[in-house]
Amino acid sequence: MNQILPGNQLAQGIVPSIFDISSPGARATDLPALDVPETALPASLLADQPPALPEVGQLDLVRHYTHLSQRNFSVDANFYPLGSCTMKYNPKINEAAAAMPGFTGLHPLQDDADVQGALKMLYDTRLWLAEIAGLHEVSLQPCAGAHGEYAALKVIRAYFNDPKGGNQPNRKTVLAPDTAHGTNPASCAMCGANVVKVPSKDGMVDLDALRSLVNEDTAALMITNPNTAGIFDGTITEIAKILHDAGALLYLDGANMNAIVGVSRPGDFGVDIMHYNTHKTFSTPHGCGGPGAGPIAVRDFLAPYLPVPQVQKAADGTYYLEHDREKTIGKVRSFAGQFGVLLRCWAYIAACGGEGLRNVAQTAVLNANYLGARLRSRFATPYFDPGANKFCAHEFITVPKDLLAKGVTLIDIAKRLIDYGIHPPTMHWPVHDCLMVEPTETESRATLDRFVDVMLQIAEEIENDTRTVNEAPHRAPVRRLDEVAAARTPVLTHKR
Amino acid sequence: MDYIQLTPQDREAMLRTIGVNKVEDLYYSLPEEYRLKEALKLSGLPTPKSELELQRELAEMAASNRPAAAGACFLGGGAYDHFIPTAVDALAHNGTFTTAYTPYQAEASQGSLQAFFEFQTQVCRISGLDVANASLYEGATASAEAVMMALNATGKRRVLVADSVHPHYKAVISTYLSDLPAQYISIPLKDGVVDGQALSKLLEEGRGDTACVVIQSPNVFGLIEDWTAHFNTTHQSQTPDGQPGEALAVAIYNPTATGLLKRPGDCGADIAAADGQPLGIPLQFGGPYLGLFSARQSLLRRMPGRLVGQTVDVNGKRGYCLTLQTREQHIRGAKATSNVCTNQGLLALRATIYMSAMGPQGLREVATQCFHKAHYAAQQIAALPGYSLAYSGEFFHEFVVNTPVPAQKIIDAGRARNIQPGLSCRKLGIGSENQLLIAVTEKRTRKQIDALVSLLKESR
Repeated sequence: MNQILPGNQLAQGIVPSIFDISSPGARATDLPALDVPETALPASLLADQPPALPEVGQLDLVRHYTHLSQRNFSVDANFYPLGSCTMKYNPKINEAAAAMPGFTGLHPLQDDADVQGALKMLYDTRLWLAEIAGLHEVSLQPCAGAHGEYAALKVIRAYFNDPKGGNQPNRKTVLAPDTAHGTNPASCAMCGANVVKVPSKDGMVDLDALRSLVNEDTAALMITNPNTAGIFDGTITEIAKILHDAGALLYLDGANMNAIVGVSRPGDFGVDIMHYNTHKTFSTPHGCGGPGAGPIAVRDFLAPYLPVPQVQKAADGTYYLEHDREKTIGKVRSFAGQFGVLLRCWAYIAACGGEGLRNVAQTAVLNANYLGARLRSRFATPYFDPGANKFCAHEFITVPKDLLAKGVTLIDIAKRLIDYGIHPPTMHWPVHDCLMVEPTETESRATLDRFVDVMLQIAEEIENDTRTVNEAPHRAPVRRLDEVAAARTPVLTHKR
Repeated sequence: MDYIQLTPQDREAMLRTIGVNKVEDLYYSLPEEYRLKEALKLSGLPTPKSELELQRELAEMAASNRPAAAGACFLGGGAYDHFIPTAVDALAHNGTFTTAYTPYQAEASQGSLQAFFEFQTQVCRISGLDVANASLYEGATASAEAVMMALNATGKRRVLVADSVHPHYKAVISTYLSDLPAQYISIPLKDGVVDGQALSKLLEEGRGDTACVVIQSPNVFGLIEDWTAHFNTTHQSQTPDGQPGEALAVAIYNPTATGLLKRPGDCGADIAAADGQPLGIPLQFGGPYLGLFSARQSLLRRMPGRLVGQTVDVNGKRGYCLTLQTREQHIRGAKATSNVCTNQGLLALRATIYMSAMGPQGLREVATQCFHKAHYAAQQIAALPGYSLAYSGEFFHEFVVNTPVPAQKIIDAGRARNIQPGLSCRKLGIGSENQLLIAVTEKRTRKQIDALVSLLKESR
């Protein structure tokens, strides 16, 4: 018999697997009786029995997933200063909108005439994202940021492969800073492009190194700006010039758009092509890891290569999906994009307007600088020093070397934050032993202050009670998990 | 409403703490010339919308659509109008699921990790394979990832794709293969299904350089393919010197059909990909949907996407964490098995709850009712003068009928009766303008099917 856990604090106990509570014959729902005559089933094609799914009653089903929901951190319940992930508040109206039957009931292959409202929303979003980027055309097709990178790189290759376009099929090398997101090189590899790392200097692209690496085989540089060290790279003019003089393109990874949305347009600082992460900048919820959406924006000369379908507006004011485009890279997914995600993105931009978006970026930057300024006495910030007029964008990194010298690891600090109900910042990236802190604009000053207080208290604990920090978390549903054993002997499914 | 909570007093105090006068000063490294002088002007959005205005406009936009699911919906072609138990929405809309991040911090994410572990188990059980990941974007990209995995696992270059695969999936596979040292080759059909002899011939011509054979069943015409025979052919292929050819069998399946029909793993598939939309995900104009991906144990370390593993904490208590992350882009960069990062967590959760709610008997009943209702509809329609079934093979819940008038004319006539009679095969790129692809799920009533039959009867 399993151990019976005291009280009803399931957060402290083990929630049995749905398979553990399966009881043969239990049902959580039902269907109307079959109301048509039966047809003989094709015996040779049938499975002996249906898949061994769990069998539970409706109440146990509801309790099980309610219990699981109580064992998660979430933006609705917790502060998430998670660098590079932009964990801002996800407005409730956007969820209500996405659940409207007028949207959820639309089949993706219905005639355009049936879906005019949906197409209008997509068309507005297409225009707005182009206007925010300062670029000419947007494709809403990609499913997430990495998928946007992939689609954009395909567009770049198609452009250079086109005898009437870039006409330099040899341009197959993509440069990426050594601080780039891991998706950048991985997306390049999927396109058959070679990736060359560009070293950084003081958190910025090393311009001399960039000059020496750019040549007639370079297709593009994939840059994140503000960069992953949390600084807007002001040498962007020079960077763009180096690329463009060599006949290559400048690609912006839009992961950090929350620092500049409505304040500065990538197209103005030389970007030719970029992707957005709607689940970062435009507040579509992360959903435990998706769905996202990764629209891409391009300059006019790259537009002919965008994926299909594209949403268009006809002269008579009606909307339609364009399925053929002579030079398109083709399809990157089925149907017309992450519609439900893009709808939330639309509602968010419509609520903010141009002024609101500017306030979003400015407040995200204000909040990050405030946290940095309050924390840096105990948590060293290598690139952030307000006294020397060195500020951060919407996030900053701290490398708490002094504290780490006292017998704790970065992971210990991260796990101790969990005890205080705060999701740990991003760790060990873009440099080793750093925490990357991104508060976003939607947090109140009280929440920011509490985070500082907690961080300072953890610093005290490291001085006086190292063990408590070493052994954290103490107040999570589980203690520190053995991730090494999980990888050594993978158990990936419930065993009967 | 920009959802910002700071008051003007907060701002002032915070600027003082930082030691600057205004927020613009913080953009010290952003060259002046790149700063917008005024707020962005967005097309058709002169002012931000208040919450009430937004509610009104969203309701208006929704009302200007004609949702197929609100009437008699016989549309399929890769997206199906199924019954969704109320509990799926009630549970999956919980903010502690919708607003949680990817579970990298395991101790703060036990809820989603356990749900994904259950999901992986369920996907293995419906596909009949050993290992499943925690989801990919949707069916077409999952199929393309299966092909990419086969290319990497075998080191071979030829990819044979049945011509009966959904055209969007074929197009996406084709996009993924362009720019790579790989070759897309179509397997021709006979009466709407894979021509076994043609497949043998293509494998022979490949001289052991075939990475995989991709077959969808039920295929785009709704017909059930003979996976067992074709995957057997695939596995028996040889190099010219008599060595095993090592080509992998990739099955694209429909999760609903596994309630009734043999599963990919039962028929010899090495990799299985599907769109999980039928598992409790609304049509929602094509997305977000859900990529299901599973494979044989031997391919585990080449899997794309996230994997959740069971482990224990320092006290020996059971827990879950992401595992085998050295396959992934954030560790491995250009050598990762895929670039996928954000996937479809919330949709995987929906599918998990759906499969748990339906159970084996529920899924069997859904599949069985789909089968009987589709066959009832097909029999009634085939009996109408001028109408006939386009193919003779066994089908599941979808079929093609030849129509005496252009399919579009029937679709237009259906609008007034709130019937979506099917998809024009010409528009979908799988047949002529006088062909209609009709899908019948468990949600359709006899009355609706009879109304469809009347509509067709009167469309001559």
